[in-house]
Amino acid sequence: MLVGLKKADDAGVYKINDDLALIQTVDFFTPIVDDPFQFGQIAAANALSDVYAMGGIPKTAMNLVGFPLKRMDLSILRQILEGGIAKLKEADVALIGGHSVEDTELKYGLSVTGFVHPDHVLTKGRLIAGDYLILTKPLGSGIINTAIKGGLAGGPIIAQITELMARLNKQAAAIMAAYPVHACTDVTGFGLLGHMAEMIIGSGQGAQLWMDDIPIIDEAIAYAKMGLIPAGAYHNKQFRQAMVSCAESIDPVLVDVLFDPQTSGGLLIAVDQQQARALLSDLRQNQVADAAIIGRVTPEFPEKIKIVNRSDT
Amino acid sequence: MKKIDARGLACPGPVLQTKAALDTENCAQICVQIDNEASRQNVQRFLESQGFAVTTRQDGSDINVIGSRDTVATALEAAPASDTATHKIAVMCATDRMGSGDDDLGAKLMINFIRTLKEIGPDLWRLILVNNGVKLAIEGAPVLDDLKALEADGVTILVCGTCLDHFNLLDKKQVGQTTNMLDVVTSLQLADKTIHV
Repeated sequence: MLVGLKKADDAGVYKINDDLALIQTVDFFTPIVDDPFQFGQIAAANALSDVYAMGGIPKTAMNLVGFPLKRMDLSILRQILEGGIAKLKEADVALIGGHSVEDTELKYGLSVTGFVHPDHVLTKGRLIAGDYLILTKPLGSGIINTAIKGGLAGGPIIAQITELMARLNKQAAAIMAAYPVHACTDVTGFGLLGHMAEMIIGSGQGAQLWMDDIPIIDEAIAYAKMGLIPAGAYHNKQFRQAMVSCAESIDPVLVDVLFDPQTSGGLLIAVDQQQARALLSDLRQNQVADAAIIGRVTPEFPEKIKIVNRSDT
Repeated sequence: MKKIDARGLACPGPVLQTKAALDTENCAQICVQIDNEASRQNVQRFLESQGFAVTTRQDGSDINVIGSRDTVATALEAAPASDTATHKIAVMCATDRMGSGDDDLGAKLMINFIRTLKEIGPDLWRLILVNNGVKLAIEGAPVLDDLKALEADGVTILVCGTCLDHFNLLDKKQVGQTTNMLDVVTSLQLADKTIHV
């Protein structure tokens, strides 16, 4: 076993032989958008993401379904599954089975299996001093979903955030495979700072993040200033606050956005500093337009995250 | 002073309850009772975004967030819009013929109407096509090029998905975004002026 339960990571990895290791992961949740097809797409993109974050290629998947048969029409389930299949096709992943149970509330997700070369497994914890950090999707999906639930977000932003959450991390993962990437994870429920914290714990390294370089959806900042921050962001903050410090010039509401739980967020990549610019431009020119270098790994303050404005450094 | 009891609610419940209260009553003073730190921060931010000066008072395990503002006329329209145009005109077409009387004449007038819409200029924000109106956006429609030109100029064209489906035209649509009633209602709400044909 290469990656197991000992230290939190995105997926389990089991070595089959010197050339092949198996990656296994499972993820499911309750609906986050109204449209069943889009919900299916988002759930699949989210489940596949863990394999990409380990540096692997997903190959097969199985559906997990909890469905309230008495309250909902089966056509809704069909649309959800079709949404999931659409994303599996885009990822070249074969759906090979699944299991459904009757449930009081709707749940959908997938168990995904992939492959990786045992020497090329990307875990969270192998940061090297000087590495640059790249984030491949903008932040803010938790806050915007909160605004949508509250009836405050309009059509255009709903469409934008839905597309973002349904977007696969496939392309970003394929591009980073050609670069000296030392560690990687995907940004999901713990928010950027929660996942950043997981990366630096036990690594002997700290992280300096450049607030003004972190991609955030404009509306998310506006909604955050209106107090539409989900409870999960505060839980994340409470849990990791002791590790995080922030320059005084930075609006505290922005730090809350960095704790915002993401659904199907982007990859957080630690790459050799010399190659960071090349990886960034490769990503940006190849359909990962939102990617940005957001900070660096440093031994100056081990296991701490410091947020500064790049213009102040 | 308006009082709201939002204890026991998780975020964003207290903010939504506060917003609902302000939407119905434009008060100058408000006290929101909550019982956790996350809600305190969120409610405080919300009230500040609505022009209130905010103080908080701990009361046992409860927290009172008290807001006051000078003018009750402060606008409540703080929901951030992704469109920043100063003046937004939405045109809603529920027909492919203008007026009643002669249908052939109505069809000609409609073509002319769509062609002339560009004269509104940059204020033209959204064109919403519902019911028979969706037939203006399908292949073979005489105004297709005009609609494409409007779209290229930045006008958002929303085409009702339910209507396309009803007429069995989902795969015939050539221009605009397939939309739902929520988008339609939101567009009408956000527009500064709506024109209904």
